[in-house]
Amino acid sequence: MSQTITIDPVTRLEGHGKITIQLNGHGEVEDAQFHVTQVRGFERFSEGRPFYEMPGLMARICGICPVSHLITSAKACEAIMSVRIPHSAAQLRRMLNLAQMIQSHALSFFYLSSPDLLLGMEADPKVRNIFGVVGAKPNLGRAGIALRRFGQHIIELLGHKRIHPGWVVPGGVTEPLSAAKRDEILAMMPEAFQSTKLALAGYKQIVDNFRPEIEVFANFPSNYLGLVNEDDSIEFTDGALRLIDGTGRIIEDGITAARSTEIIGEAVEPHSYTKFTYYKPLGYPDGCYRVGPLARLNIAKSMGTPLADAELAEFKQLAAGPVHSSFYYHHARLIDILYGIEKIEQILNDPLILDTHVRATAGVNRLEGAGQSEAPRGTLHHHYKVDENGLITWANLVIATGHNNHAMNKGVAQAARHYIKNGKFTEGILNRVEAVVRTFDPCLSCSTHAFGQMPLAMTLLSADGEVVDHVVRS
Amino acid sequence: MFPGPQRRRPGAPCSVESSNANQIRCLILACGNTLREDDGVGPFLAHWAEERWRDDARVRVLCDHQWTPEMAEDVAQAETIVFIDCATDSAPGLVRCMAVKPAPDSTKLGMHHLDASQLLALSKHVYGAMPRTSLLLTIGAGSLELREGFSAVVQAALPEARQGLEDTVQRLLSSKTVQRA
Repeated sequence: MSQTITIDPVTRLEGHGKITIQLNGHGEVEDAQFHVTQVRGFERFSEGRPFYEMPGLMARICGICPVSHLITSAKACEAIMSVRIPHSAAQLRRMLNLAQMIQSHALSFFYLSSPDLLLGMEADPKVRNIFGVVGAKPNLGRAGIALRRFGQHIIELLGHKRIHPGWVVPGGVTEPLSAAKRDEILAMMPEAFQSTKLALAGYKQIVDNFRPEIEVFANFPSNYLGLVNEDDSIEFTDGALRLIDGTGRIIEDGITAARSTEIIGEAVEPHSYTKFTYYKPLGYPDGCYRVGPLARLNIAKSMGTPLADAELAEFKQLAAGPVHSSFYYHHARLIDILYGIEKIEQILNDPLILDTHVRATAGVNRLEGAGQSEAPRGTLHHHYKVDENGLITWANLVIATGHNNHAMNKGVAQAARHYIKNGKFTEGILNRVEAVVRTFDPCLSCSTHAFGQMPLAMTLLSADGEVVDHVVRS
Repeated sequence: MFPGPQRRRPGAPCSVESSNANQIRCLILACGNTLREDDGVGPFLAHWAEERWRDDARVRVLCDHQWTPEMAEDVAQAETIVFIDCATDSAPGLVRCMAVKPAPDSTKLGMHHLDASQLLALSKHVYGAMPRTSLLLTIGAGSLELREGFSAVVQAALPEARQGLEDTVQRLLSSKTVQRA
């Protein structure tokens, strides 16, 4: 008699999801799926709106990465306007994007994942939370909060609000940076660096405790997609996409936002409202790929900042080619943070950052436009079509978590097959299956364009459809 | 008609600060969403408080959509604190001010929003300090629909809420300065 295990909800994720694990008659895992079960409709209700409203509208998809949507949407609008924004505006947006990345990664590492990493996967759920982390490692608890504040305060200084800031508009930004704000941000740098170094050191101390998990946490060759500059250094805001295969060979390079709309397909599976993106020339599912911190570090040859470059060199020693285990998303996230802080400091130390020319203006010059950037979780695309009056006639968003959907499903199945034997499982085992999803740090609210709140559940069903176990975490 | 959104700086309905953090005897920490009708009482009272104590360095006003772990340091540094929010578990329009204690250690924390007791507990655990007096001022919500402005019953309760906040803060400011808990 086969059984299905359902984890519902998956805890410590952004948004809500469900995992179903199907056992065969011998108690071995036959299949596992990661479901996302909401629909939000942003692409539909934006039809008929003026294109210049889109950044503000699209930012409301998410409270964690609204800046990514602001910037990517603005870039799609600028394609419609056929403008190139001033250099200072590009640098200011880059700074805002990096600040968001820092605070988002801090949330993921310290609040969502550190309970597992610092207290262990088998720790009592009652202590496997941020209180437990603070109790065991108070300095790390403070470091996590400090990094979140650092990123959020920069967003607030630039965009006037921590959540759903404005300021980014089609054509650039609404106001330049003042010297006072620049100096305020620079004054926060020492603590941000210290917090990040503490986190990296703490992670390196514990990572060897997770060798078994590293082997089975979505550890398989895959393609990888991410932005790079022409000098092969990492990029979050501009640049072009590069797609590599599991050996590191470049499949396609210099992928612009317009080209992305031609080559990225979206497959639909019946068990989830999140689509499965893939590289069309390779078909589905062979053309699936991973995005986000792990992909970015696998693709980039350098970070372009000294401390992060040293960390990248160490990271690349983990494997002869691309690093495949998704457990290392945690490590990559910390390197992303370090790079972000260094890059922000570089930008602020350039006198041109105070330039008052920060916005280009134009009307509708094309009836279609696309934009792309690196959100914390990976590549984000916005693609719009407008009429002659600039009203949206069609919009499509391709979210980072959608890019990772196939890998998350495959990773959940891999971990479930490894850990669940003879139909037996423990709280720690179920936590490990959830933890695989957490390595990707998915934002299910964004990727599903979801409305309302719905918990993620893990359910174990028999072949007869009988519920053997059901874990609901609301 | 709710005057708050029109009076605030564009793009900055919340997250206002009004004084030097080193001299804070009373932190007013509000939360709420001005687009969810009565959920906007927190920002409304925060804005009023910002104007009321603009020239008083002993009072600091903070306001955001929700209370988050990042506020724990601000809470830890305050001698006293008044949290402000709408309540969904009391009669519409009912104004209450009650003491709040830190949550037990076993409490699960929401990463996007905390309640007052959880924020106090986090301050205590992370920074080893929390205010000596912590109060929660609430107004019972009448409606949380997607719109600006307040329901009639909450609109009618706002003068009482303002007076309650005034009296509470004055009482806290006039109490003796002692070591934080």
